[in-house]
Amino acid sequence: MIKVFNLYKSYGGIAPVLFDISFDIQDGEFVFLTGQSGAGKTTLFKVLFGWEKFDRGQILVGGINVGKLNEKNLYQLRRKVGFVFQDYKLLVKKTVFENVAFAQQIVGANMKTVRTKTWNALKNVGLVKKKDSYPSQLSGGEQQRVSIARAIVNDPELILADEPTGNLDSEISKEILALFEKINQQGKTIIIATHSAEILRKKECRHLLLKRGKLLQS
Amino acid sequence: MNLFSFNFVKSTFSNIKSNKQLFLLSVATNFIAFTVLGIFFLLFVNLDILFSSWDKHIQLIVYLDDKVSNSNKKKIELLFNSNNKIDSIVFISRDKAWENFRGKFSSKSKFITSLKFNPLPDSYTLRFVSAPDRLKNIRDFSEKIKNEKGVESVEYGEKWISRFEHFMIFLRGFILIFGVVLFSGMILIISNTIKLSIYSRKDEIDLMTLLGATNAFIKAPLLLEGVFQGVAGALLSLVSVKLIHLYVVFWFQGSLDSIFRGIDFQYLTNPIIYSVISTGIIIGVLGSSLSANQFLSRRYSE
Repeated sequence: MIKVFNLYKSYGGIAPVLFDISFDIQDGEFVFLTGQSGAGKTTLFKVLFGWEKFDRGQILVGGINVGKLNEKNLYQLRRKVGFVFQDYKLLVKKTVFENVAFAQQIVGANMKTVRTKTWNALKNVGLVKKKDSYPSQLSGGEQQRVSIARAIVNDPELILADEPTGNLDSEISKEILALFEKINQQGKTIIIATHSAEILRKKECRHLLLKRGKLLQS
Repeated sequence: MNLFSFNFVKSTFSNIKSNKQLFLLSVATNFIAFTVLGIFFLLFVNLDILFSSWDKHIQLIVYLDDKVSNSNKKKIELLFNSNNKIDSIVFISRDKAWENFRGKFSSKSKFITSLKFNPLPDSYTLRFVSAPDRLKNIRDFSEKIKNEKGVESVEYGEKWISRFEHFMIFLRGFILIFGVVLFSGMILIISNTIKLSIYSRKDEIDLMTLLGATNAFIKAPLLLEGVFQGVAGALLSLVSVKLIHLYVVFWFQGSLDSIFRGIDFQYLTNPIIYSVISTGIIIGVLGSSLSANQFLSRRYSE
């Protein structure tokens, strides 16, 4: 699913944020990307997602060479990857249903598909009853679940979740993690960036450990 | 209508609704600019019609020397007859000319009645056939004939025609330059309005790019919004120029009749109307593309 070779990334050419990173992740894997704050987890995600450019190296995501993408064909990568943001990035003027449906509307799905898939995604994350609520009427955990529903609604092969439990308490974090496990069992590749020791203890799986931009364990 | 079209039209109206004041401000500015341009066009169209009507009445008068020989006179007449662009030839003898002149002006001046000799020469009045290059034909022929033996002078009001022609060229150039300046200004206005519209929806547009929207999907509603601004300004200006036209016709018809000699004061011609609307579309597309492209390329290079 992902192959990264000798990846370098720096901001303004000073100390590199990512230094000679190489790893690969198979289809259907569940992986934690760990490391302290500032280790480069979010930057690595952004680079994998084509959100930021990198200086050197090669990245292949689902067969797409990320380094070759430009602003016009970047959408091809974005449609293969579902991104769960730490700050949820929900549109405050849209309801839960509209927020999830939005992800399909922008890829040109027809009305019927939008309705069916949104309904299924909300069912998957257990938010059907809240479909008409606005983000401000939801708890942090519920907002994160909407964000997850939006990430899976277009049926991407890969889910990148950046600190998805960062703002949530322990109980809710457990629920969110269980949700990711359920999605993983449906065949999706999941990578979760986290520095929460509690989350890491809860699941036995592969860890990628970053420290000051270097990959210490893959 | 497919889903893409439906979404972008819906998105356009939602943008306009959420930035109503900015949209109206931009339409109002475009309307004023187009109206100013429209007034100049109105002036130009009517002066052009006036000039064309004068052009139809222009005739070439060839004055002969008092001592012109019969053979030279025949030669001159042969030149007239051999030119197929000349429609009619009327000979006016010096006696007939003097009679006409005295008939017209003797009541106004005693000097004319007391004059004991005829100061006027024999002349030919030549009317040329109607053609787009009629004035040029008159000019060319007058150049040719004026140096012929027996011809004293030629006359077709060249000085004032030339002055009027120069004025029309100046007016055309002025409208062109003025139009380009207004055009650039209107593009900047629309571009800035769209920029504000983009920034008011920045979170949504950012999210669209992150979720895999194509550039066309993001740009289409912005372009349509720009086109609406440009076209709305253009259409309103055409209405206002029509009102100005009606006002002028209603209040100044008498004065216009004496200036235009029976020619109606016209509204803008169809090609000009279509051009104004097309310009509205073009500035809308250019203005909004400028901001949309700038925003999308900046996002990618972040």
